[in-house]
Amino acid sequence: MRRYEVIYIINPNLDAESLSEVVDKFSDIITKLKGYVVKINQWGKKKLAYEVKQFDKGYYVECDFCGVPATVNELERNLKLDDRVLQYITVKVDENVDPDEVMSREQQQDTVAEEGHDQVLEEG
Amino acid sequence: MAYNGRGRGVFIKHKICRFCADPSLTIDYKDPKTLSVFTTERGKIIPRRISGNCAKHQRMLALAIKRARNISLLPFTTAKVKMKEY
Repeated sequence: MRRYEVIYIINPNLDAESLSEVVDKFSDIITKLKGYVVKINQWGKKKLAYEVKQFDKGYYVECDFCGVPATVNELERNLKLDDRVLQYITVKVDENVDPDEVMSREQQQDTVAEEGHDQVLEEG
Repeated sequence: MAYNGRGRGVFIKHKICRFCADPSLTIDYKDPKTLSVFTTERGKIIPRRISGNCAKHQRMLALAIKRARNISLLPFTTAKVKMKEY
């Protein structure tokens, strides 16, 4: 199991639910192929540095997941086929990672973030 | 970097690598702000002898900039701004 990070840009002119449908589609692909989606972080609409397929804005989505190389090949094949996706990049972040430990560490971070958030409310 | 060599050699101020000196400065292809510091206005990567980076960090920096260009966070090249003649 390796840890990967994929960032892809979606056509900005889609409405909200088709955007989320694209995001769900790719996270389903990862989970279907024995992968574990750790975190999905949507940066939202940003201006592109150069024109891509006649778009100068794009909806950025960053997805952090664990998987085997076969998962990545299948994911990239789908990213290439889907014409709503303008560009994508996958980066190997870490080697031989234990997914359960990564997932548990992720849950701790989320809970810690929420506790920190609550304290601020009480003090504020 | 400092040539106090024989004859022609001129003493050049010893440049330090910013990433070695300041560990909080991380090289990441996802944030274009720290990367754009090391590119010219035309979008080209500043060479090591000018930016003063050490070899290891310059390699990481170049890789990060190329990845950022791939997902259009950084431009490959920017158009030449024509100076208006008054």
